[in-house]
Amino acid sequence: MIQVEALTKRYGPTTAVDELTFAARPGTVTGFLGPNGAGKSTTMRMIVGLERPTSGTATVGGRRYADLPAPLHAVGVMLDVRSVHPGRTAFRHLLAQARTHGISRSRVDEVIAITGLESVAGRRAGTYSLGMGQRLGIAGALLGDPETLILDEPVNGLDPDGVLWVRGLVRSLAAEGRTVFLSSHLMHELSLCADRVVIIGKGRLLADASVSELVQRSEHASTVRIRTTDPDLLTKVLVGLGAEVVPHDNGVLNVQGASVDDVGAAAARCGATVLELAADGGSLEDAYLHLTADAVQYRGGSTDGTTTDAPAGGAR
Amino acid sequence: MSALARPSMEDAPGGPAAGRATSRPPRGHGPNFARVVTSEWTKLTSLRSTAMISVATVVVTWALTYLAANASSVDPGFVPLDSLTTGLLLAQVGPLVLGILAGTGEFTTGTFRSTFTAVPQRLPVLAAQVVAAGAFALLVAAATVGAAVAALVPAASSRGISLDLTADGTPQVMVGMTTYLVAMALLGLAVGALLRSPVPAIALTVVLVLVLPVLLSLGSELATGPTSAPVAADVPSQQSVVNTVVTFLPSGAADLLVRAPGSSGIEGAPDLGPRVGALVLAGWILLPLTAAAVRLRARDVA
Repeated sequence: MIQVEALTKRYGPTTAVDELTFAARPGTVTGFLGPNGAGKSTTMRMIVGLERPTSGTATVGGRRYADLPAPLHAVGVMLDVRSVHPGRTAFRHLLAQARTHGISRSRVDEVIAITGLESVAGRRAGTYSLGMGQRLGIAGALLGDPETLILDEPVNGLDPDGVLWVRGLVRSLAAEGRTVFLSSHLMHELSLCADRVVIIGKGRLLADASVSELVQRSEHASTVRIRTTDPDLLTKVLVGLGAEVVPHDNGVLNVQGASVDDVGAAAARCGATVLELAADGGSLEDAYLHLTADAVQYRGGSTDGTTTDAPAGGAR
Repeated sequence: MSALARPSMEDAPGGPAAGRATSRPPRGHGPNFARVVTSEWTKLTSLRSTAMISVATVVVTWALTYLAANASSVDPGFVPLDSLTTGLLLAQVGPLVLGILAGTGEFTTGTFRSTFTAVPQRLPVLAAQVVAAGAFALLVAAATVGAAVAALVPAASSRGISLDLTADGTPQVMVGMTTYLVAMALLGLAVGALLRSPVPAIALTVVLVLVLPVLLSLGSELATGPTSAPVAADVPSQQSVVNTVVTFLPSGAADLLVRAPGSSGIEGAPDLGPRVGALVLAGWILLPLTAAAVRLRARDVA
């Protein structure tokens, strides 16, 4: 169980995380989504005590991270692939971590096997590919068999096999009743493995909802296109349901404010024959992009190189 | 749309984490100081650089001492043990760099993330690094002193002199050499942990340990040269001030530690003896170490 309350982090005039409140619950994979620079990593670093919040609190299992008596057994953390000395072998790196908690060598071998690193565990970590580094990071997170896992971009750099493996791993960890909190900047990725998604932009909470809620929301925001033999009748029915209908030629109606299911059912009820029925856009990815559109800090193609909230130097 | 819905739990590949329940580690067994020390020892001894620097320190000391002893062995009044400490000037760089790499390695590589999430109190890590690096440096220092003694044997036996390591304060000198080499490792560690970057740490310590004493002595000699005759009356006090300052630098403290009892020290400087020398060194270590601890405790490490 991770609880974040009114968490705020300022670096001088910049606010990286702004009054963030959410929770990640046991038995659930909670996705943490936001564009690059939204404050995901800063939030995670504050949860595990590497950075101090300017205000607000973050607790794991009801305690501040620094107050955990055995952090590795409580929380497994993978923050950055570059958390390993490149001159040290994976085995020695994990062994050094294990020894802080008196965790046995056999457990080190076990997490090496779980993450599929057996053949390279004796190689220096500096020779690892990004994907192998991710596996090593996950191995470190599993070392203490923790109740809670915090993984920053765990599929980043993994090959398709590795991506599938991580999805399966986080699902099975949550199925065992653990709290899994993982970040990504890809809505699609989280829609495949998360139960809930916490979306932030510019350090602020934009959405905290289950994946199915988000799917519904995005469907409501989308346009349904229907072609029917009786557009006038159907328009009346749909307007009666509170939808917005824009008629086009050839009996095509563009409907907003109703899902594909709603429109199909309405057509069936009034006896209008459906020739075509489709949702235009409205994917989860679109919903996410819509939510974060104002919160993207580093927009591509920006020529002046300033962020939107940068003070205008010359004015006044 | 349905393609985006996440697969049910049953679709998840057979959990790689399954079957782990049998080997759950005992709960409530968190970090204690002894465990953090073994962790730091594992880190220190699992790097190639550690082994390479240690071997280089021993080999260079042996070679320098051997050459110095051989060169002096032609003197009529040759005393082999007088050459015992000749390798120290260069040998001290080994433990110094070893300590710096131990102190900065966490930060230059990002290992601190793994380390401080395992031990969020942070300060025990720094203390454990002092213990682990100190213990390792003690082994290297003992081997280095052993190499220095061994390097005297050929020159001594060529003159038919037997080495008596128990006489003339030689044990004290050997203890002093060992103490000094360990102190250099700890000074490196402290400055490294404070600055978190090896290049500034090496620059600062090399200036402090090697360059500054030479510059000060040179400066005072130039100032008291023939051109400054009018202030001749002040010369002795001026020079003794500089020499006193030099004595309180790490290298001056080293000189106090490895000087054979009864031999004269630096001219004009107070002869403080090995105990005070050790205290001066301890001060040089504690100053940056305390600053590093404050920085570690008070600031974000990310």
